[in-house]
Amino acid sequence: MSLLDILYYPDPQLRTSASEVRDVDGNVAKLVDDMFATMYEAPGIGLAATQVNVHQQVVVIDVSEENDTPLTFINPKIIVAEGMAEMQEGCLSIPGVYETIKRPSEVRIAALDREGNPFEMDADGLLAVCIQHEIDHLQGKLFVDYLSTLKRNRIRKKLEKWVRDGADLDDIPEPVSRSR
Amino acid sequence: MSKPVAESATNLRYQALQLMLQLQKHSGSLTRLLPEAQERVAASEQAQLQAWIFGWCRWSHELEGLVGQLLQKPLKQKDQDVYLLMQLGVFQLKHTPTADHAAVDETVKVIKRLKKPWARGVVNAVLRNYQRQSQQLHESLSETQQYSHPTWLLEIIKTDWPEQWQAVCLANNEQGPMWLRVNCLHGSLDSYQDRLREQSMESSVLSEIPDALLLEKPVPVTALPGFEQGDISIQDGAAQMASQLLAKYQPEGGRLLDACAAPGGKTAHAAESGRYTQIVAIDRDEFRLNSVHSTLQRLNLEANVNVVLGDAATPTSWWDGQPFNAILLDAPCSGTGVIRRHPDIKLLRRASDIENLVALQAQLLDALWPTLAPGGVLLYATCSIFKDENERQIGHFLQRNPQASLLDQVLQILPGDRGMDGFFYAAMAKPHV
Repeated sequence: MSLLDILYYPDPQLRTSASEVRDVDGNVAKLVDDMFATMYEAPGIGLAATQVNVHQQVVVIDVSEENDTPLTFINPKIIVAEGMAEMQEGCLSIPGVYETIKRPSEVRIAALDREGNPFEMDADGLLAVCIQHEIDHLQGKLFVDYLSTLKRNRIRKKLEKWVRDGADLDDIPEPVSRSR
Repeated sequence: MSKPVAESATNLRYQALQLMLQLQKHSGSLTRLLPEAQERVAASEQAQLQAWIFGWCRWSHELEGLVGQLLQKPLKQKDQDVYLLMQLGVFQLKHTPTADHAAVDETVKVIKRLKKPWARGVVNAVLRNYQRQSQQLHESLSETQQYSHPTWLLEIIKTDWPEQWQAVCLANNEQGPMWLRVNCLHGSLDSYQDRLREQSMESSVLSEIPDALLLEKPVPVTALPGFEQGDISIQDGAAQMASQLLAKYQPEGGRLLDACAAPGGKTAHAAESGRYTQIVAIDRDEFRLNSVHSTLQRLNLEANVNVVLGDAATPTSWWDGQPFNAILLDAPCSGTGVIRRHPDIKLLRRASDIENLVALQAQLLDALWPTLAPGGVLLYATCSIFKDENERQIGHFLQRNPQASLLDQVLQILPGDRGMDGFFYAAMAKPHV
């Protein structure tokens, strides 16, 4: 297993639409394993392949406290979405930024698992938010797109400034707790 | 997706704790550290974070006394975070409307984030014991803990103000009220008071300070009508007296120097008065000088003031040789008059700073005096309540410069006096040749 490099906003690659996985083969399994390792290391609760510059529809998620419930979604689709709820979201590609986003509160997902078997799953709460957040990534969409242009530009400038100032975004803990 | 700060109550406490650690390490002032910390909490909690951290600064000596009594032995240096977390917990129990169970539970939850699971039990026990024994604990506090001032600071206040020291300490632990300065170029005080009343904001006036309104309840700046348009500024009543006193002692106006101008509130007030043919505002700190520009910009007074980067201690580097008819020297000082607005002063200021400040103030007075025109007036101001920085400083200056004459008595405002910050003013005139 190896750690992959995460792309940071406003990297244009984050805007790429991922293509469907045709064959769930050994390469995909390896990608899934590497993505889990990268996500746990970050630490995060979800990662889309887009974020590691692989433009295939692969998502890994683990919202459990103990990191013992890994979920793999290949070619995921939202087939039912109900209700609306607000939750604070953050993104491994936009470190240190947390904003409240409104999304459907319950979703049903259809996807393939790590072996390529189709399955459906109902999700609510944090898992529902996380799945939608990751599926957005596969379509080149980021949670900051739900914010006003003004707010989004402010976030973009902040991240660009960090990079200019020589900050290593991999090191920005979550939420940003270093003094700068 | 990164882990949500979903337990935002925990995050708020965690961020408050990080800020407390930074302050304790003297990593910077609240003015600098707070905005950075506020970026790490939800927008809806930024005001809460500020209220807590101000409150903790105000009460940190008291909280040390309370937590100290509850610990069987002091915690190790590397566990300062746990010690401060206990203080934060007791602070919520004693000084905030947070429900007791939430104050305890949410504070204990922060332990997880500190990755010190062993501390769970002891933090919980300290907070629960505080709830049970608060009365006895408070009775056993020392004087410096009870008034929540560092010993050195309490000693000077007691020596300088033997009659008033208790009132001064209590005022230091209060929150300062919100004062407005009405821009008389845009409209009268009365008409602005009416505009406030339309928004159900009540305010009162103080006859000595003609441009000042004291708001009954503080409000966010953005809620004030006409703030962006420069109809008003936020400035304590005591600070507004500077322009007032300059006008009183130098009614002819002429050329004014504001020698330590940042952030520009007093400069702007002088410019609003329209009394001066020219105003030169200097500050030696380039970054702080920006605040002068933005103050003047908002009030549309940029054309009226010549803002210059320069150190008041070395006039040769910026002075064009043309004497000033009036000089305002709002000197760097201990800030002991504005502790209620900057409670971190109690944590950051050291006894040894005072000597350096007194020397710097004397140096500034001596350096600026030659730039004053014959017949001109120098107004010396500090937001300090220490006699060494104020009346004794002026006494020494008058001894060194026998030709300088003190106009009236010096004016010392103590914090809380008619709602104002602690401030000192002394006006000195240079004889006509």
